[in-house]
Amino acid sequence: MKLLLALLGALAFAALPLVTSSNYIIGVGISALIFTVAAAALNLVYGFTGLLSFAQLGFWGIGGYATTLTVMTFGGNFWLGVVYAALLNAALALVIGYPILRTNRHAFVISTLTFALLVALIARDWVTLTRGPLGIPNIPRPQAFGFAFETTPSFYWVAWAFSVATIGFLYALCSSRIGRTLIAIKQNEPLVRAQGISPMPYKLASFAIGAAITGAAGGVFAFHLRVIDPGFLDFYYMQTFLIIVIIGGAGSFWGVIAAGIALSALPEALRFSADFRMIIYGVILVAAMFVMPTGVAGWLRERKIARMRQALQ
Amino acid sequence: MTIDAVYLLQLTLNGIALGLLYALIAVGLSLIFGVMEIINFAHGELLMLGAFAMCFALPVMGLLYWPAMATAIVATMLAGFVIYEGLLVRLKPDEFERSILITLGLSIIIIHVMQYLFTATPRMVDSQYGFDGVEIGAIRITWTRVIGAAAAVAAFAGLYLVLRYTQFGRAMRAIAQNRDAALMVGIRPRVVARNAVILAAGLCGLAGAAISPIQLVTPYMGQFLIFKAFALVIIGGLGNIPGAVVAAIGLGLVESWIGGFFEIAWQEAAVFVIMIAVLFLRPDGLFKRGGMRVG
Repeated sequence: MKLLLALLGALAFAALPLVTSSNYIIGVGISALIFTVAAAALNLVYGFTGLLSFAQLGFWGIGGYATTLTVMTFGGNFWLGVVYAALLNAALALVIGYPILRTNRHAFVISTLTFALLVALIARDWVTLTRGPLGIPNIPRPQAFGFAFETTPSFYWVAWAFSVATIGFLYALCSSRIGRTLIAIKQNEPLVRAQGISPMPYKLASFAIGAAITGAAGGVFAFHLRVIDPGFLDFYYMQTFLIIVIIGGAGSFWGVIAAGIALSALPEALRFSADFRMIIYGVILVAAMFVMPTGVAGWLRERKIARMRQALQ
Repeated sequence: MTIDAVYLLQLTLNGIALGLLYALIAVGLSLIFGVMEIINFAHGELLMLGAFAMCFALPVMGLLYWPAMATAIVATMLAGFVIYEGLLVRLKPDEFERSILITLGLSIIIIHVMQYLFTATPRMVDSQYGFDGVEIGAIRITWTRVIGAAAAVAAFAGLYLVLRYTQFGRAMRAIAQNRDAALMVGIRPRVVARNAVILAAGLCGLAGAAISPIQLVTPYMGQFLIFKAFALVIIGGLGNIPGAVVAAIGLGLVESWIGGFFEIAWQEAAVFVIMIAVLFLRPDGLFKRGGMRVG
């Protein structure tokens, strides 16, 4: 039932360029799709595995730069660039994930945060590679089989195909035995150990897959913006992903997807002042943590359980 | 490359002054972590509020350094009180992720409200000392740095005495060492946590006031420093106050030396590289935490 709904939703989204000819609305649609993918990846890491990782922002930036540089500097194409971005991020996540996953959860959060900051500093300071604060403008649109995805509506379908594929993959992963093991690790790690499952490989895999998908999403987003500079690593993106996951309900797969689509439209609707928008984001974040810490999905689940209890009495 | 002794000494002194300011921030974080087991993401914003308070108080007080600094400290302590009573008091122990997200939201709000009110334009802060310096041989250090360092040292001495010899401080250490036992002997965690947050905010205000004549004051200044302070707290061992001080002074020295001899980009990256190396070798930080130690 849920899958059928999701399939219908995906098809409805595919039809967006047929309904409207406004490049602005289609652009918002592209952002919504990509942010949803990044939030779903964060949900895998935080919602399912219980690792609050700020490193997603770093992976997002590395993905954006890796894809862009593959095309602009190393002469590859967009598709290869996205694959490289995913592979590079997965490898990097394994390397930094191993030492920081051995620490306690407090140190983990802070280390991932510092990693994200370091990536932003490198993007700014490694001028020979990234061109520093000037950024890399005029990123070309991708091509395939002689067809250039030149216009915004045609690029929309690239983003659509990408997000449907990754969300499908994440759903298969999260609803499999691996996904259930991840939830078990989040809920009770000693119990998982007692069952003879080593948590470390699962945590590392979740961290690396989350990193790869976030990086690929960053790559697609850079080609949507068609310019990349250190602003791509603005903390704003991390906040957006986090708010999507928290409002949707950490650990609820479809809740986060729905929140991703709904909340990506919100910053566009609230476009009166950048500062004011961030203030509202902050207020939403603080309020959500107090009013419904398990997100909309958790709130609905509680309501459902309460109703079932009442029916039993 | 020959190393000039005077240049090296100059860098070392600058590094110590910088490290002491880092230590003020890291100690506050460590104190709050020790008592409440939470990380205060909005800590850098307290520092920024302190710097802004200094920035506005100095012209009003005829550029007098000390009264303006006292104003900044009182202002941030008040802010700490409001933050604790408004938000942090609702957190239960062991709600670490929630504490991060709440204080993160708070930090976003504070930064952007300040930017909305006072714009992002960097401000220069002038004090009665201006850019005068003290000269020892060929070495020259500005008074604002000397005073900042001296105030930090005095603050650490005061903190040590408070935590070691007063009931106020002993209660904090008791909560950090064993919450249940502290409850049993009649210590109220709520009051102690509030005191710890206010004390940490005051230290942050002192750091902000001391930094403002040295650096430009912007709404984002807290963010840059807080990320470093987070890393320092990890390197020193979470909740370990002397560990944080040692790590902070060490980082100040390393950054100053790197800045003096290598490319500036490495200066900012140093803290992260050191942190990863430390975590590889000692996952609990350089100085393992055994309750909140003061000596």
